[in-house]
Amino acid sequence: MTEEKMYPEKLNKIINLVESLPEDERRETLVSYADSAKKQEPRAGEKFDLEDIRKDEECADKVGVYLQVDDQGKAHLRMTLGPEVQTLTRAMTAILCKGLDGVTPQEILDLPSDFVTRIVGAELVRIRSQTTYYVLTRIKSICKVYLDRQRMADVA
Amino acid sequence: MLLPLLESGRNLRPMNTLPTAYAHPEALVDTEWVEKHLQDDGIRIVESNEDILLYDTGHIPGAVHIDWRADLQHPVIRDYIKPEKFAELCSRNGITPQTTCIFYGDKANWWACYALWAFRLFGHENVKIVNGGRDKWKAENRPMTREVPKYPRTNYPVPKKRFDKEIRAFADEALAQSKSRKPLIDVRSPGEYKGEITHMPEYPQEGVLRGGHIPGAQSVPWKTATNDDGTFKSAAELAKIYMDQCGINPATETVVYCRIGERSSHTWFVLTYLLGLDNVRNYDGSWTEWGNKVGAPIEKSA
Repeated sequence: MTEEKMYPEKLNKIINLVESLPEDERRETLVSYADSAKKQEPRAGEKFDLEDIRKDEECADKVGVYLQVDDQGKAHLRMTLGPEVQTLTRAMTAILCKGLDGVTPQEILDLPSDFVTRIVGAELVRIRSQTTYYVLTRIKSICKVYLDRQRMADVA
Repeated sequence: MLLPLLESGRNLRPMNTLPTAYAHPEALVDTEWVEKHLQDDGIRIVESNEDILLYDTGHIPGAVHIDWRADLQHPVIRDYIKPEKFAELCSRNGITPQTTCIFYGDKANWWACYALWAFRLFGHENVKIVNGGRDKWKAENRPMTREVPKYPRTNYPVPKKRFDKEIRAFADEALAQSKSRKPLIDVRSPGEYKGEITHMPEYPQEGVLRGGHIPGAQSVPWKTATNDDGTFKSAAELAKIYMDQCGINPATETVVYCRIGERSSHTWFVLTYLLGLDNVRNYDGSWTEWGNKVGAPIEKSA
């Protein structure tokens, strides 16, 4: 298996695009993703299988994750972010909502996190930007709960 | 001008010696003033943030971005850039030794104060802080732009020295301060001070092995110095907190610290510029050094 095949196709395209950009353009692209984070919020009439809205110690503000799994077993994510959430975390939110759309919850759970640094880039990586990982952790966490409930329902 | 205080202790000092006006009011500008002076010659507005991409999302028109880590810190060693690099940083941002650098940023100006302090390390004298920082500017719906300004390059002379001795404290000096029971101000959150947590609330762990505080340090969280909108409290309020309640006075040396030196830069600015205390140093190694240092004495308290 090549390294690229470890990631879902849509996410892989984003990783390759952002990674290939010179630093200035990478920043611009990340800001543009951050700008679009608002578009990942739940829309009127949408229904979800699970909603997880909370404020954790690891993040500066409240983060909401909404999971809908369609009848094909594919996940669709929406997210809400409080105003204190940092720009890089907003960018990662938009990237993950777009990049993981249509993959299964199990695939999300199995996703390695090493792509985060490939997107963020060496110049922007620092300890206080680790909340970029937090968004992925929250998405994985809701998928785990979904799968656990599915397994329990199957057993029952 | 502050009257000299009695060495024998704060209890003997009459209350009326506390300042009622900022010692250096010229070091503070409000957002309204900044908006009116955006086109002035001889100033450079500098944004410094914790949020790495925040400047890119919009900033005060004409402001340049100085990143606390990429621009001010040595790329390998835990230290600041060399004087040559500082001269280059200023030159490429169109700054001369006479330029008044007006700093602002997120987090109630933590990083703005840190950048200002770093500029002072290199002897740059004309510095100011925008009271209330970026949040206040934005809350007031003042103009923002994504346009990155270009200024004619200057030829900033390489500073002859770094003023480490004057405004920076190292671990051994913080230890000496502790042993001699001179004022040590821990500006972290109460939980960090007590040793209950080793990271800031709402922040990731930054690699500290032990929790607590330097023996003898007093807990005065940085936020004590600000109002809810991030502006600084009045001189009288600040004097009451730091001089009356903590016993800091112009005659003694004071060392401030936090975890990596940014929150303590905020307090350093308050003590140095707003209260006019001359002998204040920032221990920028702070808790990420002290809490990992083998054999460093640590106190835990309620």
